[in-house]
Amino acid sequence: MSGNPNAILEVRDLHTQFSTLDGVVRAVDGVSFEVARGETLGIVGESGCGKSVTAMSILRLIPPETGRIASGSIKFEGEELTTLTEEAMKRLRGHRISMIFQEPMTSLNPVLTVGTQIAENVVRHLGVSWKAARERAFEMLDLVRIADARRRLDEYPHQLSGGMRQRVMIAMALSCDPQVLIADEPTTALDVTIQAQILDLMIELKEKTGTAIVLITHDLGVVAETTERVVVMYAGRKVEQATVDALFEEPLHPYTRGLMRAIPRLDVEADAAGTRPRLQEIPGLVPILTQPIMGCAFAPRCGFATDRCRGERPPLVDAGAGHLVACWEIERVRRAV
Amino acid sequence: MTTYIVRRLFATLPVMAVVALFVFFLLRFAPGDPAAIIAGEDATAEAIAAVRAKLGLDRPMVEQFVVWTMQLVRGDMGVSIFSNLPVTRLISQRLEPTVALTLSTLFVAVAMAIPIGVLAAWKARKLVDRLVMGFAVLGFAMPVFVLAYILIYFFAVQWQLLPVQGYQPIKEGLWPFVQSLILPSLALGITYMALIARTTRASMLEVLAQDYMRTANSKGLATNRVLLLHALKNAAVPIVTVIGIGIALLISGVVITETVFNIPGLGRLTVDAVLKRDYPVVQGLILVFAGAKVLVNLIIDISYAFLDPRIRY
Repeated sequence: MSGNPNAILEVRDLHTQFSTLDGVVRAVDGVSFEVARGETLGIVGESGCGKSVTAMSILRLIPPETGRIASGSIKFEGEELTTLTEEAMKRLRGHRISMIFQEPMTSLNPVLTVGTQIAENVVRHLGVSWKAARERAFEMLDLVRIADARRRLDEYPHQLSGGMRQRVMIAMALSCDPQVLIADEPTTALDVTIQAQILDLMIELKEKTGTAIVLITHDLGVVAETTERVVVMYAGRKVEQATVDALFEEPLHPYTRGLMRAIPRLDVEADAAGTRPRLQEIPGLVPILTQPIMGCAFAPRCGFATDRCRGERPPLVDAGAGHLVACWEIERVRRAV
Repeated sequence: MTTYIVRRLFATLPVMAVVALFVFFLLRFAPGDPAAIIAGEDATAEAIAAVRAKLGLDRPMVEQFVVWTMQLVRGDMGVSIFSNLPVTRLISQRLEPTVALTLSTLFVAVAMAIPIGVLAAWKARKLVDRLVMGFAVLGFAMPVFVLAYILIYFFAVQWQLLPVQGYQPIKEGLWPFVQSLILPSLALGITYMALIARTTRASMLEVLAQDYMRTANSKGLATNRVLLLHALKNAAVPIVTVIGIGIALLISGVVITETVFNIPGLGRLTVDAVLKRDYPVVQGLILVFAGAKVLVNLIIDISYAFLDPRIRY
């Protein structure tokens, strides 16, 4: 699997840790995945499962005072990023790998115009004049369908709505034609109709520009609509990986099943009284990551868990057609439906 | 914006009126009697009373106040009790050294404090930061006159690089003028510098933790641009505020600094006038200082609108 010529981004056995007063937090604990050119990969999991830290690790934006990439490899177009100099990383960020964030309301600089914030990226990475960069900014705003783009260039973020700000973030992130766009919960802070618009926009632009997207979300609905392959993370580990179709057809990890049972569904019939079955939450809490976890991280919350699950870490195995899952009890889970 | 400025300028009038009222009555309730000082140590009670009557100080206080404010409205600050010179002329003669000292201190302090504060925030909790903050605490705790004499001892007496004291007007040539201002500006500016550096650091630290700084870093921008444009412009409002507040600090510091360095400015004039209970001169000076402070506040408030587009007047 490694050395896939089609992969633009390869993350291998990534460990990212933070030093806190309570001890070392293993936020990312041996995660591997790869992203093919032009592909959309979803990374799914609850808050605190290490999704965002994985993203920040790829761009090496983990604050060095508290956190570090302890081991593992991140290869972008075959080049190892974990050992790259900071200067070289800076030339990569916003240019060949760019990122958009969850909080459109606070992710733009309030005292700089939208035009400046997009154009500075272009000036920095493409080495063009400010005038040309401003023209590029205008094109990008137009591309993300901001009406009256020329006038918006000179506006400040507080003059824009949340949805527009996220469009500006997308315009900024795509302004230098990156090969990879990491979108960390890009629609979580937006209301549902705007969410759909932004997702559609991202997919449309991806098809236009061929940028690969790593979409990080806790929302399986978003994953189902937009991605091709999915990585499910739990407690800093990858627990399942499959194509979207295979994952929704037959989720194999008890955690993925738990996540799916927690999604409200329209295709479930209501009973005579008009009530639908109660959504099932996953019992228990995400484990504390300062303690090394011996067995499967999900075992304490899992209905299938055995002594083996609690004592021995399950390896990722191929359950057929590239559907990877880390679980000792796959057969029992399969039969349980 | 223009309406705002005009409105603010009108709003200064009541402030100045209150200042005038306070300074007038405070001076007169304070112990000490200019008539007794003029009449001399051995003067009889009658002689003192005669001087007092000649100066008009025997009139009811309210009457004196009305006379003075009527003069003020016409732009006349009255005449010094001792030198008989118009107060406006006394002040304008002494204005240049004080303005020069204040501006050069302001410039030196701001030009040094902001980079220091930015550096400390960028290297927070590292050695540079600890050194800078240690210096800031020291600078804040050091009285102007102590620092002034230390500076004079080394730079003027030991190494003879700069004049011990005195002031050279700018028309005597730029270099002597600058030379005469270096030590006073440093002595006066150190507290101010410490204040601005600390505020810059605190404000920058807050800004550096914001989401938009993560965005700036994710764009791979050069460190200079990230710190000096993205962060500092956001951190500027509290810094500018403290620079404004510090002007009051400077005005009181000027009085001491001018005395130590023997600079013939408004500070020295103030000390002399207060010691002699030269009522019209003290009153005029306090009004000038208060006016300067009010004007600085106005400039600071206006500058907010340029630093932060969300602020509109």
